[in-house]
Amino acid sequence: MSTEVGSVPADTAVIAFADGLPGFEHQRRFVLLSGPSFEPFTILRGLGPDAPSFATIDPRTVVPDYAPRLGPQDLARLDAAPGDALVWLAIVSLDASGEATANLRAPVVVSPASLRGVQLIDININADAGSDAPAPQYRFDHPLRAA
Amino acid sequence: MLVVSRKVDESIVIGDGIKIKVLRVGREGVRLGITAAPHVPVHRGEIYDAIKRANESAAAPDASVESLVARLRASQKRH
Repeated sequence: MSTEVGSVPADTAVIAFADGLPGFEHQRRFVLLSGPSFEPFTILRGLGPDAPSFATIDPRTVVPDYAPRLGPQDLARLDAAPGDALVWLAIVSLDASGEATANLRAPVVVSPASLRGVQLIDININADAGSDAPAPQYRFDHPLRAA
Repeated sequence: MLVVSRKVDESIVIGDGIKIKVLRVGREGVRLGITAAPHVPVHRGEIYDAIKRANESAAAPDASVESLVARLRASQKRH
């Protein structure tokens, strides 16, 4: 099935991102790879030639009370219902000085049941607030301390 | 670019089912109401662009993501 990428086990579930990720809108298929050699990180690996891959981390290991709102639009895009178990991932990067940061402002959310994924964007979080809801406090580059 | 003049309570319709209505015009900006199907993503342009830049700088070519994770793990141990 996933023979196009040698290091992805054949039985790894493919997650569909209908809109890709900002900057990679045409990259629609990803797999999640985890294991003792990656902990505490999880790899979000794009499938296909020249596909981008990302290092990610559970945002709650960075900020224990992390709880952004998931709007009805996000649930619809995930084909999920309120209360469904979802996997939350913050994309991690290393800046020029070697400091690791996590993008807590635009987390990736995956539904293990529907095998769909989205990257959340603020307006969706506030879509039904009906007023000028305050912007989320989370940063694109939250410093990653020892988890 | 198509340029259209609209007043408060007037709207424009894009394609099949996307409607953008002018709710209020003030000194600070224009307030818009957007109606679209749930699966249609709607984003503020500057926030989408910021996320795009963050993703582009975080992306690793397929072959190097494991070495990125190894460097991240090493950077964690330094703390």
